[in-house]
Amino acid sequence: MTFVLTAVGAALAVALELFEALAIVLAVALTRRPAAALAGAATAVLACALVGVLVGPVLVAQVAGDTLRVVVGVALLLFGMEWMRKGVLRLAGRRARSDSYAEFVAEREALAEVEPPGAGRFDWPGFVIAFKGVFLEGVEVILIVTVLAARPGGLAPTVVGSALALLLVVGLGLVLHRPLRRLPESELKYVVGLVLTTFGTFFCAEGLGVDWPLGDASLLIVLAIWLGISQAAVRVLAGARGGRPQPVEEAAA
Amino acid sequence: MRTVRKLVLGETWALPIGIAIAVGLAGILSAVAGSADWWKDAGGFILLALLACAFVAALGIRR
Repeated sequence: MTFVLTAVGAALAVALELFEALAIVLAVALTRRPAAALAGAATAVLACALVGVLVGPVLVAQVAGDTLRVVVGVALLLFGMEWMRKGVLRLAGRRARSDSYAEFVAEREALAEVEPPGAGRFDWPGFVIAFKGVFLEGVEVILIVTVLAARPGGLAPTVVGSALALLLVVGLGLVLHRPLRRLPESELKYVVGLVLTTFGTFFCAEGLGVDWPLGDASLLIVLAIWLGISQAAVRVLAGARGGRPQPVEEAAA
Repeated sequence: MRTVRKLVLGETWALPIGIAIAVGLAGILSAVAGSADWWKDAGGFILLALLACAFVAALGIRR
């Protein structure tokens, strides 16, 4: 069960971040020059790999045992609770919904206003925009994947989930040449937040000497409690405006 | 630096500070309890309750 939850959490987190990166790369490729978009994305992937190589071994080598569980737990809580916070605000109508397609359209419109480079010249603006988009989303992927993989028994399910997500997103990008339009991104990000927060709570407590009553099966209890708390928060926040929810924050990620 | 902070800690300070306080309090309780059974049995749910308070505070929900 832990394997499945970890794999699903990793797959969803990686896929959603990659969808956002894909939207930017496709916008650059379709508006300007595909070579610059691909070069920017490839360079960003190499930079992300470097970050992964640096962060992963340092995390595992410098901390061990219960301390590692607390460090991993806190990192998962930081990511998970932030995703869950944004998810609750979106589901309550207090924040604009997450929409990679809208970002794709906005990015294309913005890029169309930038003058294209002359014939035979490399498109540096396109390269930088693609690099920045992929690198920023990629670093978040690297951090989440590293933390999920760093805990005992976490490597295999994290790799499986991440690999499936990578194949899915790259495949869709190659076939569709545009982001998915009807993907329920807000709901999926909320689910990722729930899963990461559940793991964070579980491992942090274990690192602090807790013996969960049902072992790994307690993950489901913790998940159910977080689901209840967050859904109650959605209802309270949505109801606070008399059933007429209004977005008060712009979506950033 | 602002982007890195946003990537790691999120958009608000309330959540990371709340998590730090919750985990810090749980750490103190764990140290006080030592190997006592009550902490081993109920400590996870105590941590969860502390984190839930931090989460609600970060959402800005007030009575």
